[in-house]
Amino acid sequence: MSANLSNIRHTHGLDVVKPLSITTLILVMMPLVLLPLASIFIFGTSSGLRSFWNALTAPEAVFALQLSIVTSFWATVFNVVFGLFAAYVLTKYNFWGRNALIVTISLPTAIPTAVAGFALLLLWGPYGILGRFLDPHGIHLMFTAAAIILANIFVTFPLAFGVIKPVFDTMNQSLEEASATMGATRWQTFWHVTLPSLRGAILSGALLTFARAVGEFGSTILVSGNLAGRTQTAPLYIFAKFNEGQVEAANAIAIVLALFSFLIFSVLFLARDWLEAE
Amino acid sequence: MKDNIQTNQAAVSVEGVSKKFGAAVVLDDINFSVLEGETLVLLGASGSGKTTILRIIAGLETPDSGRVILHGKDVTELPARARGVGVIFQNYALFPKMTVEGNIGYGLRLRGRPKSDIAEIVNTLIELTHLEEHRRKHPSQLSGGQQQRVAIARALAYNPEVLLFDEPFGALDAQIRTRLRREIRALLREIKVPSIFITHDQEEALELGDRIAVLNQGRLEQIGTPYNVYNKPATEFVATFLGAANLLLGIVNENRFEAEDIFLKIEPDPKIRDGQSVKLVFRPEDVFLRRPENLTQNYQPLVDGIVEEVNFVGAFERVVVRLNISTRPPILVTRPKSETTVFPLEPGVKVPVGLVRFRILPNYTLASERAARVI
Amino acid sequence: MKFKIGLIAVFFSAMVLIGCLPSAPGGGGGGERKITVYGFSIMKESLQKEIFPAFAAKWRAEHNGEEVKFESSFAGSETVTNQILQGVPADVGIFSIERDVDRLIQAGHVPNDWYVTPQKGIVNKTPFVIIVRKGNPQGIADFADLGKEGVKLIHPDPVSSGGAQWSILAIYGSELRKSEAETGKRDETRALNTLKAIWKNVIATPGSAREARTQFELGQGDALVTYELEALLMKDANAPIDVVVPKATIFSEHPVAIIDRNVTPDERPVVEAFRNFLWSDEAQKAFVKNHFRSVTNESFNDANPQFAKIEMPFTVEYFGGWKKAYPDVIEKVFRDQVQKK
Repeated sequence: MSANLSNIRHTHGLDVVKPLSITTLILVMMPLVLLPLASIFIFGTSSGLRSFWNALTAPEAVFALQLSIVTSFWATVFNVVFGLFAAYVLTKYNFWGRNALIVTISLPTAIPTAVAGFALLLLWGPYGILGRFLDPHGIHLMFTAAAIILANIFVTFPLAFGVIKPVFDTMNQSLEEASATMGATRWQTFWHVTLPSLRGAILSGALLTFARAVGEFGSTILVSGNLAGRTQTAPLYIFAKFNEGQVEAANAIAIVLALFSFLIFSVLFLARDWLEAE
Repeated sequence: MKDNIQTNQAAVSVEGVSKKFGAAVVLDDINFSVLEGETLVLLGASGSGKTTILRIIAGLETPDSGRVILHGKDVTELPARARGVGVIFQNYALFPKMTVEGNIGYGLRLRGRPKSDIAEIVNTLIELTHLEEHRRKHPSQLSGGQQQRVAIARALAYNPEVLLFDEPFGALDAQIRTRLRREIRALLREIKVPSIFITHDQEEALELGDRIAVLNQGRLEQIGTPYNVYNKPATEFVATFLGAANLLLGIVNENRFEAEDIFLKIEPDPKIRDGQSVKLVFRPEDVFLRRPENLTQNYQPLVDGIVEEVNFVGAFERVVVRLNISTRPPILVTRPKSETTVFPLEPGVKVPVGLVRFRILPNYTLASERAARVI
Repeated sequence: MKFKIGLIAVFFSAMVLIGCLPSAPGGGGGGERKITVYGFSIMKESLQKEIFPAFAAKWRAEHNGEEVKFESSFAGSETVTNQILQGVPADVGIFSIERDVDRLIQAGHVPNDWYVTPQKGIVNKTPFVIIVRKGNPQGIADFADLGKEGVKLIHPDPVSSGGAQWSILAIYGSELRKSEAETGKRDETRALNTLKAIWKNVIATPGSAREARTQFELGQGDALVTYELEALLMKDANAPIDVVVPKATIFSEHPVAIIDRNVTPDERPVVEAFRNFLWSDEAQKAFVKNHFRSVTNESFNDANPQFAKIEMPFTVEYFGGWKKAYPDVIEKVFRDQVQKK
């Protein structure tokens, strides 16, 4: 019996474990991810492409998508630049409280996005700790596109940093020293030596941040005011349409977001190799 | 006046450099200079401070006191980028996202040189370092030796004041190491750029250096030609660090070294007074185990000994001999092939022991004595 | 290498192009006015389809072609109120329950003299009914039947939804009203027990009446207590449902308030004109068309043949107004006795 078992384990011809484990993988993913995603597409096209297209081109839908992309874009720009800066400072310098800073940057991962939303309200809202002093001067951050960007920045804060920092950690310090001895200023070294090695990390950090920001809901619904055509992002639009019973309209945008995410992660997958290749 | 001429001739001068990291003294009053076209090897164990000296010359570290002078110019206060030195890092530190050409031209681009100039210099260097087939490759596609040549070419591109090599062969296996050493030696002879190597490998030091500076715990023990450092070690550390050495404790008495039944005539030395405790230092290959018939060399008999072990180790034979008195530690002797065939030995045989070359060094056993000594 | 840099440059310039904030749909041009309306969930259709365009046309005609643009957001009434309390830039709020206006008055967003507005601030009304699956498989005839074993009920959450609070008042009041008709006395024990039995059957509490309807439409639950308006909208959409009209039920009355704090003196005329427009015959008839019942003229309601006849209708006045109904029924009965077991 035991001889049989070891025979099977050391079979050279057919490895049973391979097809078995792949099947298991797909079977587990089916009900959890694949089928729910598929149903969006099935439902979206069930009443014809025309109604799908109409739902997609409704002015408020187009606006919601644009607003999502724009606010996510700025949040991404900020978080990538900041993440780069933070990773540089926290790798290069050792100082008291350094680890505390690293932990703080990573904190938003564990904070529910709704909490992020009302935390921003408590600070910047018209009755917030700082907002109440700005409000009389006509400076309103909350319930504007700025609020959405702030919320996006908060919830995606650790993402770019988290991707860039490990690359910094493994980067050879002597590269920078070599560049310096060859006559480069700090900035030249950063631009010609450090940055090129970070291209892949920056791209994936940006795409991750962007993907996450485009889909952000919990904090946005609290800080945006959810005004259709003004501060309603794509996920809020989906939620609003769902609540109104217009599931088709909700679904059309959901499809766009799903495709968007697919696109982003495909780029992430392909472009990363492409950028790192050399 | 004479001093000035010397300073002008020196490509690199390190004057009175000291450095502490916290309470630990890393460098203690280091002085040396490298002449134009000369190769100096800083030899020392890890922790001897040799890397710190290199980094101080490169401007990657600042000394607590002392000066660094490059071609007559005091650069102690200048940042690394303004010094114009070429550093070949241990792992080469080639820029991974630049091609071979990009790496070599980097220093020139930083200096804003015209494109045509850069292309010309890069071409010359690629030819010099035989990298023609690899010019468009990235560092990860090159072998260790090729990477090293890129690193050297890259540093040569901007006419460095001095080339600094930080353990350049550390990451390579023994065979390649020997080959590359020869290549670099030939290259340095050709380009005549003053160079400083640091290494912990005495064989490497002897082969590469026009002069060798031996460092021990932040102090310069001896600086001199490979021949002198090897054959006339100034200190016990130098003697034992550069190759194997036998040590015998004794005293000096009327130009004689005395240790119980051993008496050896020595040259008068003003630094050593009668009755002083000294060490007799001699290398295994300087020991003779037969009567000195037909010997033209300067031979002095020591004492009789008993052969304890005979090991054949390829090119030569290693013999362990106990000198007369059993409490004395045995000495190590190496004999060339020619000697072993004519005069075979086996354990238990009694042999006459004599020396063709030796050194008498003061025996510093106390730290205070050591610190007070004058080199 | 050059190729890659080019691609990256193209990508980034594309991103910067879309990096400018989008302009609102249909926006543009100066000399236009803007009114921001936050409404409770079911106000959406009638406002967006009829009232907003009608008012804009009227204003344009009366003010040399000046355009009025509306921005609107809809959620559960309590959610809308909380958003306004947090400072969303609402000019006008339309709520499911008067209590929400009271909360805004207390916080100073709405002036104390709000009650002097026409119709005491109420813009329209609608009775509460039961929606069941086509054919009424569980034979539900009145509120009490919702407490039967095995009935699965969708009921919005009273914490965020005004409609949910109306529903509780409808069920509780319905039993009181019927017992009063039968015995001459309000039987509070009977009303409490009915409410308890029904609440046991609740399988989901969505955030607003509209969310509750969506969940019901997606196939959850056997029954839904909601505004008649919702039932009629579902019928219009040919949803496979039946409407059960209880013998006794409440008319929900929906107040409007100007959020003083957010309205500049410059904006006030147009905002007030809009609020007053809600009581105009034109607006009231538009509400009727969209299945709300008029509060200014009962005869308008004859125009909608789908409106149900209610045998024993009542309003929140039956409980002594919201000031008593909320603490007495929603808090003391529902929250303390039904919800907490």
